[in-house]
Amino acid sequence: MLTLEKLREYGTDVESGLTRCMQNETFYLRLVVMAVNGFSVAALGEALKEGDLDKAFEEAHKLKGVAGNLSLTPIYEPVSALTELLRRKTPGDYETLYAEILQKTKELSALAAQDADR
Amino acid sequence: MDDRETKFRIFDKKRCVLLVEDEVVNQELMKLAIGDFYDVIVAESGEQALEILSAKHETLSIVLLDLNLPGISGLDVLRRIRKDPTFLRIPVIVMTADSDAEVECLTIGAIDFISKPYPRQEVILARIRRTIELSEDRVILKLTERDQLTGLYNKEFFYHYADQFDLYNKNITTDAIVLDINRFHIINDRYGKSYGDAILKHIADESLTIVNKNGGIVSRSEADTFMFYCPHVSHYNSILEALSVPLGTGENKDLRVKLRMGIYADVDKSLDIERRFDRAKMAADLVKDNFTKPIGFYDHSLHEAELLNAQLIEDFTTAIREKQFAVYYQPKFDMRGQEPILNSAEALVRWKHPTLGLVSPGLFIPLFEKNGLIQALDHYVWDEVAAQIRDWRDRIGISLPVSINVSRVDLYDPELEDKLLSIVKTHKLTNKELLLEITESAYTENAEQIVDKVRHLRELGFYIEMDDFGTGYSSLNMLSCVPIDAMKLDMLFIRNAFKGEKGAQLLEAMIHLAKSFELTTIAEGVETSEQVSSLKAMGCDVIQGYYFSRPLPAEEFEKFMIEKKGVASKSGDRNP
Repeated sequence: MLTLEKLREYGTDVESGLTRCMQNETFYLRLVVMAVNGFSVAALGEALKEGDLDKAFEEAHKLKGVAGNLSLTPIYEPVSALTELLRRKTPGDYETLYAEILQKTKELSALAAQDADR
Repeated sequence: MDDRETKFRIFDKKRCVLLVEDEVVNQELMKLAIGDFYDVIVAESGEQALEILSAKHETLSIVLLDLNLPGISGLDVLRRIRKDPTFLRIPVIVMTADSDAEVECLTIGAIDFISKPYPRQEVILARIRRTIELSEDRVILKLTERDQLTGLYNKEFFYHYADQFDLYNKNITTDAIVLDINRFHIINDRYGKSYGDAILKHIADESLTIVNKNGGIVSRSEADTFMFYCPHVSHYNSILEALSVPLGTGENKDLRVKLRMGIYADVDKSLDIERRFDRAKMAADLVKDNFTKPIGFYDHSLHEAELLNAQLIEDFTTAIREKQFAVYYQPKFDMRGQEPILNSAEALVRWKHPTLGLVSPGLFIPLFEKNGLIQALDHYVWDEVAAQIRDWRDRIGISLPVSINVSRVDLYDPELEDKLLSIVKTHKLTNKELLLEITESAYTENAEQIVDKVRHLRELGFYIEMDDFGTGYSSLNMLSCVPIDAMKLDMLFIRNAFKGEKGAQLLEAMIHLAKSFELTTIAEGVETSEQVSSLKAMGCDVIQGYYFSRPLPAEEFEKFMIEKKGVASKSGDRNP
């Protein structure tokens, strides 16, 4: 099952995530699973591909909020950087950042799915 | 203090929070953080948020607003909340990860922020709680600082804000203005209270328009009194006109409410704000019921008069105790024989004030009549006069009746007769020796009660003179039923009579009229020999005035009496 230990290994700031959940581990883990299943990373990719930077910003901003609240640092960091670039519409390496977000989301999904398989 | 405050609040009742957030994870985290302390309603979009606001705005205490919403954006939701008067009361905290948006949110009207990722629970709770407290306090303040009917400040808060106004307008010349509605109760009586209220609201709205244009603040301080504190202007007439709202409808649509305005221009800012408005009020009272001159101005002489009045009232008790009031006597002469015969005197009071010198009765009598001190002064004079009559009789063998003033307030005193009888008894006099002068105007109000009282005094043997005849508004009809012995023609009446033919005819007619009622006529204020001979020719019985003598202190009057000696024998006459 998805454990705090696994999240920690993944790179999550588990302590601050738990603080937001009143130290309720079960609740925290449940929210992480809920989050990872709900992430619409594909929509972000789509928007970037189509050059719809406003839409991309919205999607990134959404991801950032949830990742931040759950202290999912490996996703939060690239998505924050991407959000800032998109907010100002500064040209930048969107692709690399997006790839990192996609990768880290997949990793987390795998951890959650692993949990679901058992 | 904090504990007590908390108790006064209704904080045992859970407040309701509207959480506008589309992300389930964020919703869940926020609910976990605050759910034990608040009822949380969730809106997942801007549209839903506005729907919930419309339905539940009365019970919502706060909105926690995410900016990044599907559909109507968070900023637009915020704008709509701040623009809608029904939502205006509800504070909004914006939840954002975006520090750039903060300035814009503040401009639109957000009260505070909760950052994302969310801070610790304690921080969230503290922000929500403090925001709710502040907004509830503001609502309470709004309710208490405003007059419920007109929405203007009430008096206390007005004074407070006037002080604030001064702080930020130190070098600006400022006016204190009081506005009163003439006979507002009549409007209420004639048109009904709700109409009266509508008039007040109308005036309040106009007042706000004026202060919004000219600057300053306005309040409704009492039923029909408004106060303005504003930068100095000179177009008071146009302000008064703007505020004189229409009163009638249909045919009467030109009828306007009658206002009076008291202005204390260029106020002295070293004075208490209340004193400044006392002055404006004084100026407004100057023009009370003066329909041709609706604006009164405060000037320094009003203040001087006010200060003098205050001092006179303050010094009164000491003056009585130290016998600062001196009784002067002015002789009255019977003109019915060949030669004028001294037959009585009038007692007149003078105040020998230790610091102000001789104070004119014109200053203190009206003042004491207004506040009731006149009664104590009358009693003092009556006693002095009775003692003097006794003293003259014992020492120099002259008995002369003396007129004393009986003020209006004395006539309402149920113990008046006892008081007079006791004075007469104490000094072993007869009731006929104290002549009672009662001013004409006393008869005009509450006529029946006064007439009964005077009749009783007359039955007891007191001689009654109606004073100041010709100044009041008594009808001739009343003359026939009032129980008096003599009619005293007022000084002004006499003076006017000698200015023109018509006046003289009127005077003669009055004297004849008095005679037909078998009243003795007394003319006072007679100054010249020409006046004396005319009055005598007209049939006037008794004359008093500078022609014979000015009012004299007791010692001088004593000498005057001795000179005219032989007069004492008349003292017992029914018609002095």
